[in-house]
Amino acid sequence: MSSTSSALVAPKSGRLRKKILPYLLSLPALLVCIGILIPFFTAVYYSMMRFRLNLPYLKGFIWFDNYINFLSDPAFWNTVQISLVYAFLTVGLELLLGLGIAVLLQQPSKFNNIVSVLLLLPLMTAPALASLMWKLMTNPNFGILSYLVSLLGFSDFKWASDPSTALLTVVLVDIWVYTPFIMILLLAGLRSLPKQPFEAAALDGVPQSFIFFRITLPMLMPYLLTATLFRLLESIQQFDIIYSMTQGGPGDQLMVFQVQAYLEFFQYTNVGRSTALLMVLWAITFALSNVFIKHWLRLRERTHGNG
Amino acid sequence: MNQLSKPQRVFRGFLLGLVILFFMFPIFWIFLMSFQTNEQILRIPPSIFFEPTLINYQALITGRLETQAGNLDIAFMENLWNSVFLSSSAVLLSLVLGVPAAYAFARYRFRLGEDIAFTILSFRFAPPLLVLLPLTLYFEDIGLSNTYTGLIWVYQLISLPLILWIVRGYFEDISPDIESAYRLAGHSWLKTFLKISIPLARPGIAAAGLLSFIFAWNNFVFALVLASADKQPVTVGALAFVTASGIQYGQIASGIVLSVTPTLLLALYAQRYLVEGLSLGAVKG
Amino acid sequence: MTTLQLDRVTKKFKADVVLDEVSFEAKAGETVVIFGPSGSGKTVLLRVIAGVHEPEEGKVLLQGHDMTDVAPEHRDVGMAFQNFALFPHFSARENIASPLTALGKSESQIEEQVHSIAQLLKIEHVLEHLPRALSNGQKQRTALARALVAAPKTVLLDDPLRNVDAKLRFEMRLELPRLLRRFGSTVLYVTQDYREAMALADRIAVLLGGEIAQFDTPESIYLRPDSIEVAKLFGEPAINILRGKVNEQANRVSVNQNQFIMPKGFHNKAGKFCEIGIRPESIKLFREKRVGAISYEVITITPLNERSVVLLRSQEGLELLATYPAEEQTAKIGDAFWGMVVPEDLLLFEIETGQRCLSERN
Repeated sequence: MSSTSSALVAPKSGRLRKKILPYLLSLPALLVCIGILIPFFTAVYYSMMRFRLNLPYLKGFIWFDNYINFLSDPAFWNTVQISLVYAFLTVGLELLLGLGIAVLLQQPSKFNNIVSVLLLLPLMTAPALASLMWKLMTNPNFGILSYLVSLLGFSDFKWASDPSTALLTVVLVDIWVYTPFIMILLLAGLRSLPKQPFEAAALDGVPQSFIFFRITLPMLMPYLLTATLFRLLESIQQFDIIYSMTQGGPGDQLMVFQVQAYLEFFQYTNVGRSTALLMVLWAITFALSNVFIKHWLRLRERTHGNG
Repeated sequence: MNQLSKPQRVFRGFLLGLVILFFMFPIFWIFLMSFQTNEQILRIPPSIFFEPTLINYQALITGRLETQAGNLDIAFMENLWNSVFLSSSAVLLSLVLGVPAAYAFARYRFRLGEDIAFTILSFRFAPPLLVLLPLTLYFEDIGLSNTYTGLIWVYQLISLPLILWIVRGYFEDISPDIESAYRLAGHSWLKTFLKISIPLARPGIAAAGLLSFIFAWNNFVFALVLASADKQPVTVGALAFVTASGIQYGQIASGIVLSVTPTLLLALYAQRYLVEGLSLGAVKG
Repeated sequence: MTTLQLDRVTKKFKADVVLDEVSFEAKAGETVVIFGPSGSGKTVLLRVIAGVHEPEEGKVLLQGHDMTDVAPEHRDVGMAFQNFALFPHFSARENIASPLTALGKSESQIEEQVHSIAQLLKIEHVLEHLPRALSNGQKQRTALARALVAAPKTVLLDDPLRNVDAKLRFEMRLELPRLLRRFGSTVLYVTQDYREAMALADRIAVLLGGEIAQFDTPESIYLRPDSIEVAKLFGEPAINILRGKVNEQANRVSVNQNQFIMPKGFHNKAGKFCEIGIRPESIKLFREKRVGAISYEVITITPLNERSVVLLRSQEGLELLATYPAEEQTAKIGDAFWGMVVPEDLLLFEIETGQRCLSERN
């Protein structure tokens, strides 16, 4: 008769193997998950304790006291304020600048493509290193930017060392590094817009500004929202740029969340306070990212549906 | 689209010129500085015309600096090697672990998969220090502080989600019929995965790998928290470099140049993959 | 000898029952066409047989062995997909060779077999091309070659002519049976086109709503459909279905005021209502009056390939579609015809179930 001996060898195991396969494949991802969750829950736990590494015998569970203490702590509110100001300033300016550049580079020409590639480079620089670059450029003794600024009449411009201009300096670095990200996103968005509405508007003799504000921008909205949320989430947690530049100073001028938490942990060895601070930050980002993920999933369905 | 008039085009060119100037200038300037001696750097007014010197690079590469104040040992090359080793190992491990997992998420709908994907996704935007600070304490207990193993494991938090995010989409785009056809031709599941699924997802895997490498290389806070001097990559090493006494500004500049050049070159070489990966990561997924 | 058997196979997707206790069998070397409208579950059925999908219940037996839990690569099945599913990064040659490489054949053997089947399918001149450089017809033949090259015992063809232009479809419809017979495999062929089904099948399994409505030779299905639904699926234009009342003697059936002569042996239907089916080509048209014929007026004429379709209306308001060969009559709208139906061509169906009534004879 017929000989399909190999078939007889693999009866029930076939079905079992098929069931196990996905679990087997995703095992490492699961391990990473656990690797994230264990420290996370530990942090939650620590945030509800009085815990200083240099005073271990005082370690104790105090529930939400750390959080309640924040409410009356001027340092905490300073952190909140400076973090929010930083986030909105950087994201706002980067949006405007990124949109403007994307519009300039809209047409797919050889020149425009070369420029967009060049503009990738700041984004690919480590933010910590970018901060260093700008630190060198703003050095009061030999920095090229200090020199140029002195030509404009601002002698002795202290850049990051001066409380009144420190924020400006780090915002500048942030803009330098991250504007290209927004630009790439918006450029992709602009180039993927359907041509017909614009052709129709051109035929009707509609003025440019109207086209831009009433047609282009609304159609770009998903990209704009994505870019904004993405960047807001990152900006409010900014560490690299600020730490590299001033470690949070001068004074507490630039004490954003993560910098403050870092110093609390390593300088003051206050585990309880630093984790509590990070939990507050996490709560903010969690809320924001939920909004983002929901919106992003909707967008993904739309592009996958059309693709 | 409508053509711009001549004055409009000139204006546009002017604006683009300003933009290019702003974004390219720092890289250009630091590059110049790296070829200058301290005296040239401190000269006012600064000039782009000078006699270049390789003394800074020499000092870094040989690890010794001879100054009037005496000889100084610079460990910068060690930092560079750490960056290379840590980033490559982390990405390699992530690819080995992440590509099969991405396949599982793409092809199978299973509860655990949805949960894992959701967790990793929601922690994508969580503050790194939240995870890192407790990890520091744990690492001390289990002896992983300041070890390559510990660092490579922690780097997975950066590279693995990215790979899962990007590669999953590419696997989803492969028609399951093609894989079925290969199975029906008589090949096992594993052979199908290796000969069909992976080759067809190669652009995505490349984009994800490249992007992960760059992010791992550029990472600062992970290494700052968990690595000590001998294991630090360039991002942290450069900062330490700056604050150490007796270091000349030219060397700082050349240190920065050496630190950023790898990622910049990678970015130029693979920019098509990068842009795809970036916009995928943000929009398409 | 039965080489393929489905035993009450049920397949669900979430709450959706796509296949409901489907059972049939195919003999060695037989071509069974699985025919049905879109969404009836034909592709899912093929995939269950291939092993790509697992049934919730039921068994799949190939060559007498229960293959329900066996992985696809061990089933000795060749399959050609509707959208070709060629490996985009392999050349046509490599695509066709893939079943042979799995068998561990030598280079020269593979070369020889690939070449011979490519010659058979007339694609040897494009073997080195990648799929994206092939036309739809060439892709389809490459997919076929890949399915057949290892001479599998079972060949599954999922509507292979669907995505191919009309001219090629016509050619292939003639070539395919010859090709398949050459290999002698048991073939399951899925299509939505009834002409294709009737041209290629030894037997047709009509799949409606996840169930097999009838499993028979093409001739039997056409002449003796089990239900109105099946009858409607075969034939273009579709069969005329009219509500009629059988008289007491069971020799006439009236549709309103028109009468048709009943076939013999339906005494159990005397005095009852039923649905009668008249195929358009069963209506014989005459210019002069015949005994038992009904007078009609031509309402519309539609040319259809080699025939014309006329809509006829009797004086009493009965409307029927009939066909006649294009070159035979030059009818105009408003012309008068006399139409007759041979009693044996009249099909009777139950009103509630739509099932065909069987005469006392058969």
